[in-house]
Amino acid sequence: MKLTAPVLELELAEVEKRIRRFIKEYIENAGADGIVLGMSGGIDSGTVAALSSLSIGGDKVIGLMLPEKETYNSKDINDAKFVAEKFGLKTQICDITPVLENFYKTIPIFDQADKICKGNIKARTRMIYLYYYANKLNKIVCGSSDKSETMMGYFTKWGDVAADISPLMDLYKTQVRKLAKHLGFPTELAEKPSTPALWPEQLAETELGVKYETLDLILYGLERFMTTEEIAQQLSVQKPLVEKVKNRWLSVEHKRRLPLTPKLEYRTVGTDFRLPRHTY
Amino acid sequence: MKEKIKLALAQISSKRENKKENLRKIEKFTMKAKEQAADLVIFPELSLTGYVLHDQIYELAEIIPGPSTKRIEGLAKKTGTHIIFGMPELSEKTEATIFNTAVFVGPNGFIGKFRKMYLPTHSVFEEKRYFRPGYQTAAFNTPVGNVGIFICYDIFFPEVCRLTRLKGAELIVCISASPAVRRNYFEILTAARALENTAFLAYVNLAGVEDGLQFWGGSRLVSPTGALLAKAKYDEEDLVICEVDYRDIRPAETFIPTLRDLRPEFFEKLKKHSETL
Repeated sequence: MKLTAPVLELELAEVEKRIRRFIKEYIENAGADGIVLGMSGGIDSGTVAALSSLSIGGDKVIGLMLPEKETYNSKDINDAKFVAEKFGLKTQICDITPVLENFYKTIPIFDQADKICKGNIKARTRMIYLYYYANKLNKIVCGSSDKSETMMGYFTKWGDVAADISPLMDLYKTQVRKLAKHLGFPTELAEKPSTPALWPEQLAETELGVKYETLDLILYGLERFMTTEEIAQQLSVQKPLVEKVKNRWLSVEHKRRLPLTPKLEYRTVGTDFRLPRHTY
Repeated sequence: MKEKIKLALAQISSKRENKKENLRKIEKFTMKAKEQAADLVIFPELSLTGYVLHDQIYELAEIIPGPSTKRIEGLAKKTGTHIIFGMPELSEKTEATIFNTAVFVGPNGFIGKFRKMYLPTHSVFEEKRYFRPGYQTAAFNTPVGNVGIFICYDIFFPEVCRLTRLKGAELIVCISASPAVRRNYFEILTAARALENTAFLAYVNLAGVEDGLQFWGGSRLVSPTGALLAKAKYDEEDLVICEVDYRDIRPAETFIPTLRDLRPEFFEKLKKHSETL
């Protein structure tokens, strides 16, 4: 297999159709009145907002903007509003700053300098808002995690990844960008640098230590059981980089699963309790 | 036996675990097909229960003949049609041994059944976890022709279709629950199996979405020379009425004489090499 950019190309019209069908069918079977999703102003959540709106109608979709003062960026708010307007969905803004400040104050061991632990509170607080809206309005939470982030574990456990459905989770970041362009997003927005917005100036590619164009090809190779040697050679990158990506992918499986429990009884949740996922 | 028959490719979307609703849908589609003079109505793999069942299959499997097959036998009698559909079959001799089975009934009752021989257990499939494989190919001589049956992944193994043909089948029915990512493979294989065996091949796939798995529909009738005679919509439910003219087989067999040219001595070699793979 030749590991070059064309392997990540998709039949975008077909992908759009399949995702829209997936969302529509899920909502119908769940008997839900629509979708609530977080809109960060980034391309993943923008794409999910667009697809949700195209699938079930914008009047049934609420995009929540959940800014907080440390990472507040008016461009993100404007980008989210642009998408909402373009695809006809409703939005609401909830400033989560007061909630976060109270969290920080009431945690006896809170450490202001530990930006990861602090940032995770932000992601989990956003999740609480989304689920409040979902519960209250009989909607489901639609997540916007992509495959690159999910494979790398680049998300907050029970935070930004928490959702009822994640329509983009089988698409790499660069594929999401292409899908966004196919849906009519301006290039500037589709190519906007990705950030989880857990602290100021945070950028995904800087943290991951690799450009998405390269990361996605490494992950694509790993997904297809290629060796780290083959991948490094084909992409002309250092083998330690590929090994680092592989190790990270394998070490964060715990973030993608239900909590582990010891096998004690006849059928066990998370291992051999295999039941269809009912949405109705 | 009729020289020509009308087939109905009844591409339905099943409601998972809801036999009552699926039986209603099978009745509805059969009645519609009957209105268009169909002689044989074909429903997809596990259409009685839906495909993504996991452990719930133990609650849904039935012996054959059993309550559901009896009901569909009644439908066949009432409408004067032949019907093929898929369901999980509970072995009569055990409590929890299940087969992935195609059932064939006609106006005179139960005709026969086929148990899926190759059980996919890779990617999203986990059939070997639940099913015991079948060991017999099936061809039934009926008023609507000599009809052979196999199921979905069996199509990847040309020997299944070949054996079915060698047993006399001239119309080979493949019922299926194939997800969208595999559409290309089935579009190629349905044409290949029909052509290499110079037989009609009716492929009937599920439509709809189960647990995120999207079935691509695209049911079809392929001629003995591999031509696409009829095709149902992709992804959505559909009912397509088409015609099988058995008189087309003779010219196909003379033009593409694969059956005349069979070389049985290779089958021994095939056996030997597959045992030592």
